[in-house]
Amino acid sequence: MEFERIDNLPTDTIAGFRVRPGKPLPFGVSSVPGGLNFSVYTSAGTSCTLVVYSRSEQVALGEIRVPDHYRIGDVYSIVVYGLDYEDVEYGFRIDGPFAPEEGHRFNVDNILMDPYARVLSGRDEWGVEPDWSKAYQYRSRVAFDDFDWEGDSPLEINDADLVVYEMHVRSFTQSDSSGVKFKGTYAGITEKIPYLKSLGINAVELMPIFEFDEFENSRIHPDTGERLYNYWGYSTVAFFAPKAGFAASGKFGMQVDEFKQLVKELHKAGIEVILDVVFNHTAEGNERGPSISFKGLDNKIYYMLTPDGYYFNFSGTGNTLNCNNPVVRNLVLDCLRYWASEYHIDGFRFDLASILGRDPWGAPLSNPPLLESLAFDPILSSCKLIAEAWDAGGLYQVGTFPAFGRWSEWNGKYRDTARKYLKGDEAQVGEMAQRVQGSPDLYEWNGRSPATSINFITCHDGFTLADLVSFNNKHNEANGENNCDGGDDNHSWNCGAEGWTEDIGVRSLRTRQSMNALSILMTSRGTPMLLMGDEFGRSQHGNNNAYCIDSPISWVDWTLLDNNKQLFDLTQALIHFRHKHPCLRVNSFSHSGGGGMPSCSFHGRTPWQVDWSAESRQLAWLMTCDDAAHGQMDAVYVATNMAHYATWFDLPGLPEGYSWSLCFNTGDSVSPHMNNPAPFNENGILVGERSVVIFNASPRET
Amino acid sequence: MALSIEMTQGDIHVTLTLSGDVDTKTAPELLSKLTALELHALEQLRIDLQGVEFVSSAGLRAIIFAKQKMPHSSSLYLVGPSDQIVETITKTGLAQAVVIVQSTEEI
Repeated sequence: MEFERIDNLPTDTIAGFRVRPGKPLPFGVSSVPGGLNFSVYTSAGTSCTLVVYSRSEQVALGEIRVPDHYRIGDVYSIVVYGLDYEDVEYGFRIDGPFAPEEGHRFNVDNILMDPYARVLSGRDEWGVEPDWSKAYQYRSRVAFDDFDWEGDSPLEINDADLVVYEMHVRSFTQSDSSGVKFKGTYAGITEKIPYLKSLGINAVELMPIFEFDEFENSRIHPDTGERLYNYWGYSTVAFFAPKAGFAASGKFGMQVDEFKQLVKELHKAGIEVILDVVFNHTAEGNERGPSISFKGLDNKIYYMLTPDGYYFNFSGTGNTLNCNNPVVRNLVLDCLRYWASEYHIDGFRFDLASILGRDPWGAPLSNPPLLESLAFDPILSSCKLIAEAWDAGGLYQVGTFPAFGRWSEWNGKYRDTARKYLKGDEAQVGEMAQRVQGSPDLYEWNGRSPATSINFITCHDGFTLADLVSFNNKHNEANGENNCDGGDDNHSWNCGAEGWTEDIGVRSLRTRQSMNALSILMTSRGTPMLLMGDEFGRSQHGNNNAYCIDSPISWVDWTLLDNNKQLFDLTQALIHFRHKHPCLRVNSFSHSGGGGMPSCSFHGRTPWQVDWSAESRQLAWLMTCDDAAHGQMDAVYVATNMAHYATWFDLPGLPEGYSWSLCFNTGDSVSPHMNNPAPFNENGILVGERSVVIFNASPRET
Repeated sequence: MALSIEMTQGDIHVTLTLSGDVDTKTAPELLSKLTALELHALEQLRIDLQGVEFVSSAGLRAIIFAKQKMPHSSSLYLVGPSDQIVETITKTGLAQAVVIVQSTEEI
């Protein structure tokens, strides 16, 4: 028989609710027998009232003023009995001084969201304009632990073996052309898993899925009348809650289950899940922004403030989270631990991560405690930690981000160098050689490895690959800012005509340049990352900053998959080639190579001789290792010619018993990749203008 | 719409026949009917949803709760759920806990 606990009974009745003093940890809401435990921190607040709602009702069920003797230190906690877990929604009123010049912004009339809220209501369906008259916009709810994971756990794929695919949840399947039933949602991605699997990627990196408000700073385009949104969501409302508007079941409040189902199914397909997380700022903006949670709980603790109480703006978005305050640091740590353990997340990519290394006054720290805590955390020990190693305040730390042996980086220098080399800029060969071998100039000196470098040529910020080869300039008119937003340092080249053209020559050059980019990316050491749709020529029509656009400009157009089948086939073949060849994935700068050859060597038109001059536009690389699993040597030779004329490359010699096979040739417009490459009997190859060839060494048939 | 729940006892199974909506207000009734069963010893539970239009998340959680209380070797059948109910339990990953049939003849 089951025994009822008798040590957990109400001690008081407040406003008709039976209550007892709660447990200060964990923060937020947790269930105890018969009741819910609420816990909230405020260091400068002077009183705390728990406001309880029924889901469907506007008027509160009741307000429970937490007695002062329920406070331990700076934490108010209370157990409330007899609440319906499914139905209850809650918030807090915190009293305290309103003295902005001293950093305090308390307002007891305001109802605040729990910073630890696991589920949020109020933005249940994407794009449905909220009722702005409601005093409490984002109501905290209770999450459940009853999801059946069927034995799932994070995949722990080696960093060097990953091929990452960056995507926006809504953009990926919102277009009718996606053919999925649940468009623009987590469930929509689940439907597309067979596609992702066939492409060969083994990690998806999801742009922000923490609850944000697409209506934040929403406005109407002055010329077109279209509504513009906070579409990308780099502005967090609730760090612990998945975005309900991205769930087909959000209107039933089941976004938690739907997102877990996506993670579970991706894992079954061998695909990891990396979340793009935004801890540098929040949706509360500056002194003119709304008071959703932190501002009213403890403004001075959570934000970096100037001496007269204004908000520092290192994020470029109004405020800066005070990440190296111990309380905030613990919030970040709790949040990531929660996603890793409760949602089985495999890794995190930190937006503008350099901010996380600033002290409360904004100065860069040499040993930032938050980054160190994350690097050595026991629960996060097998999670990928990826930094966007710069911020909007001018700190650029690619190569110098405080890594503690754990952090990898979006390698912005890989992107810039590869783009410049691709379009035939002068004096790029030397730096390209560094990028191809995993950027030892950035990462070897401090004992890091090639997979520290997340190599990418395109990401959500900036042009898509198709646009990179179709536009010299950004075309951001749809953003409603007179084309002033978005970066101007795109290093792009339109191949002879700006934007859409019927010119066959220009179009075929664009296709080839896309193939060249993907060929270089997939044969570089480090971890490659693709942007969704680049494998079949997704375009944003020259928009390089579509952060506010919820329209076909942003949505993946799946009809391109048929139209650009050759590009898709090539990308798929390149990814499979990468998985097949361990020499491309060596994760050490001191690796000794295979077959008596160096691990990574560079060549020019003549083997072992590179023309490093500023005029040179040819570079070849040879990567080798011993493939113990197959008892042979693995070697790949890549020759790139970015000049506007064809160039002859002599092939490097191979050890006895091996011969070269030509696997890819982007200059071959009919069949740029060979399905069954035969041994190549020539001593060299004429590499076409702006083309890439890839060979692998195979044991000679005897 | 109110919810009515009728219980019938078979040789190895129990059938709950529901009619009405299982929403936030009525889900607790379903939960209390389920908790009143000897779930830990029940080999088969059939929940007949042919007379139900809508099941809220609270109703679905009550069903999952029942399955988690039942022996691992047991089966929980949902009989005749609407397309919308099937969609919701599929996309939220609750479907693998139950067996969906159109009528009791399929069991």
